[in-house]
Amino acid sequence: MKLEIQNVSKRYRGNTYGLRDFSITIEKGILGLLGPNGAGKSTLLKMIATVSKPTDGLILLNKNNIVKDANYMRQQLGFLPQDFGVYPNLNAYEFLEYMAAMKGVGGKNLRDRISGLLEGLNLLDTAKKPIGGYSGGMKQRVGIAQALLNQPKVVIFDEPTVGLDPEERVRFRNLISELANDCIVVLSSHIVSDIDTIADQVAVMKNGSLLTKGPQEGITGLVSDNVFETVLDKEQLSIFKTNHLVVSTTRKEGALKVRYIANGPIENSIKQQANLEDAYLYLTKTN
Amino acid sequence: MQLFFAIIKFDYLQRTRSYPFLITLCAALAIAYTFVPAPNASYSTIRIAGYVGYNNAAWFGYVTAIMSSVFLSLVGFYLVNNSIKTAIKTKVGQVVAAAPISNFRYLASKMASNFLVLGTLLLTVLLMSIILFFVYNDGYPFDFIQFLKPYALIPLPALFFVSVLAVVFEVFLGKYSILQNIVYFFLFAALLVSTPKNELQFAFDVFGSKIVMHEMEETVQGILQTEENIDLSIGYVIGNAENNQKFHFNGIDFSTNFILSRLLWLLFGTGIVVIIAPFFHRFDTKEKLGLKKQLNNVKPQKQLKDIVLSKLPKTVSNYTIIPLIKTELLLLARKGKKWLWLLNGVGMVLLAVLPLQIAHQFVLPMLWFLQVGRLSDLTTKEIDNNAHYFTFTAYRPIRRALFSQLTAGILLVLFLASPLLIRMAFTANLATLSTLVLAGLFIVVFAGFAGIITKGKKLFELLFFMLTYASLNGLYFADYYGSLPHGSFYLQLLVGIVLLFGGGSFLIRKYHLKTM
Repeated sequence: MKLEIQNVSKRYRGNTYGLRDFSITIEKGILGLLGPNGAGKSTLLKMIATVSKPTDGLILLNKNNIVKDANYMRQQLGFLPQDFGVYPNLNAYEFLEYMAAMKGVGGKNLRDRISGLLEGLNLLDTAKKPIGGYSGGMKQRVGIAQALLNQPKVVIFDEPTVGLDPEERVRFRNLISELANDCIVVLSSHIVSDIDTIADQVAVMKNGSLLTKGPQEGITGLVSDNVFETVLDKEQLSIFKTNHLVVSTTRKEGALKVRYIANGPIENSIKQQANLEDAYLYLTKTN
Repeated sequence: MQLFFAIIKFDYLQRTRSYPFLITLCAALAIAYTFVPAPNASYSTIRIAGYVGYNNAAWFGYVTAIMSSVFLSLVGFYLVNNSIKTAIKTKVGQVVAAAPISNFRYLASKMASNFLVLGTLLLTVLLMSIILFFVYNDGYPFDFIQFLKPYALIPLPALFFVSVLAVVFEVFLGKYSILQNIVYFFLFAALLVSTPKNELQFAFDVFGSKIVMHEMEETVQGILQTEENIDLSIGYVIGNAENNQKFHFNGIDFSTNFILSRLLWLLFGTGIVVIIAPFFHRFDTKEKLGLKKQLNNVKPQKQLKDIVLSKLPKTVSNYTIIPLIKTELLLLARKGKKWLWLLNGVGMVLLAVLPLQIAHQFVLPMLWFLQVGRLSDLTTKEIDNNAHYFTFTAYRPIRRALFSQLTAGILLVLFLASPLLIRMAFTANLATLSTLVLAGLFIVVFAGFAGIITKGKKLFELLFFMLTYASLNGLYFADYYGSLPHGSFYLQLLVGIVLLFGGGSFLIRKYHLKTM
């Protein structure tokens, strides 16, 4: 499986770009997409999912141009959009059967597969009630179930953990780890911890462009010698922020523990082990 | 107070920037163009015993004011009856619910913005009428008062009351859009057919048109020197226009009582909003639906099982569209309240037992009109429910998904018409039978086409309403189901329109998918 995105741009009216000359190659495993709001993550995912078409460039799945032959992608796609709705008058079984029919899958095992997915997503007990009465998290799980109905080979999750409780998030991560054994999984999130625990590769985007892509260790390595921690008071912090990149602050016994990125430490600082969040903030704030 | 005016302003802006408003504005302009027929036109709009007025300012002002009052009251309701629904859908309502604005002020702001929207349409019609006066006038001078007076006293209070009714319907029937459409349809028809004869009764005419019609009738009676009832028609009467005689209409000096009665309609409307304010749900709609209760009874699973995808049964490719049609039918059947199916059942029984002509000419269009909410939902529900990402990334979304939607719609309307179809088949009336089938196809592809081009329901709801009303009144051009005698090209025309709308639906959806 190989998904190639070659020089793809999405141009809107007024000559504004959602994505600009974007290229990336994705192979089996999990690719975590990180980026601030407006970075172009959802635009990219919608184009891969054939919801929208690029203005320029090519998207190839196993050398097939899916911009021209969208159905080639659709037959093997599982897509969970960031913001989606459901038909409130259908129950979860009916909705998933409908989605299966939309995707062109069926067979005598369909009902059992739906039951298995609903059970695993903790929806079995509510499966025969109208979805209109589901909570946000329950709807999100119905969305996850529909993405897995057709044994997809390319799975796209756009902000999949929204509305899930901590236990469900852990179970979801286990699920996509298993998926990644023989699929391409593209996972976009604002939450760095959702990505750093499971992604084989991480891509960081900003303003419609790719800042970097690589294994987590490689990206974290960009700031491995530059993350420090110190303690400051409130007044010092506001001055400190003007010439340092502050990653986080935590309050401790009246003082503020400040984690920051710099070429060298200030006085009374302790070097810290860099993580993906440090690297992400460094990349997006300094580019 | 600031929030009150802000809601009015932004609600007005949001709605006048919408596609349905633009379409209605264009429709209003097109229809305003026909209110006073051109000198060589073959139809009349207001005709009293073969008389029409000379094209002076009064005739122009009063005729267009009456026609606007009726037409905009008819379609305006459908344009503005989703204001609170939109607030629920966009979740703006949640914010409003937590804001320090009273129910009355909120509903009054909705009423005011409804009125502004309809007022904008009315202003457009007024301008169009003035322009047309300069084109068609029979040498009479322009007199703005003859426009201003009837517009201020006839359509303006009527539209205000329609704005109030839209709010009332949203408060009490907010969840039942189908019922709203139907109840308003019958209410409108009932209000229109009332025939007041004296000043007191004119005060109860919300459209304000009857007093003018009465005055015109009396003028013509004076010319004909008769006190007997004379033939009076309002609406589009085709043919025989060249034989119309002309009379001078110089407007009306409205009595103080009548002017007061029009002001009372405004007060009455405001009073209604005061009365209904305590009943407003204030966006606490979930509890009202009883859904929370439903799900609270569900106990969480004690031990959560992990999904092992590799152990789940495998599905196989299956590109048949039967499951899609089945679910589309399920969605159509579940749309609206269950008891509305009782009305469908009654309609089907009437189609089976009433004389053929009545069943065909009156029951069938009303039974099909009862499905307006279902049909308008056919190709818009994915966007309306934000499920379009799933539908549009389906395998062959046009050939399979859209085709299934239209097929399900056709099956529904033909099922409802089945008693009549069976009777026609038994009487070997194959021409009418094929017309009925084509009519079913027409109404579905029309709904599909209107939904696809506007990505909303309003256009179809508006036009279907007008079409049903016109066809029930025996207007030939609106008789899409062949209940009146037609020429030999009628069937071909119907086939052509079905193909046009059907083909158009597929092509435009394809274009939308390409350009998303």
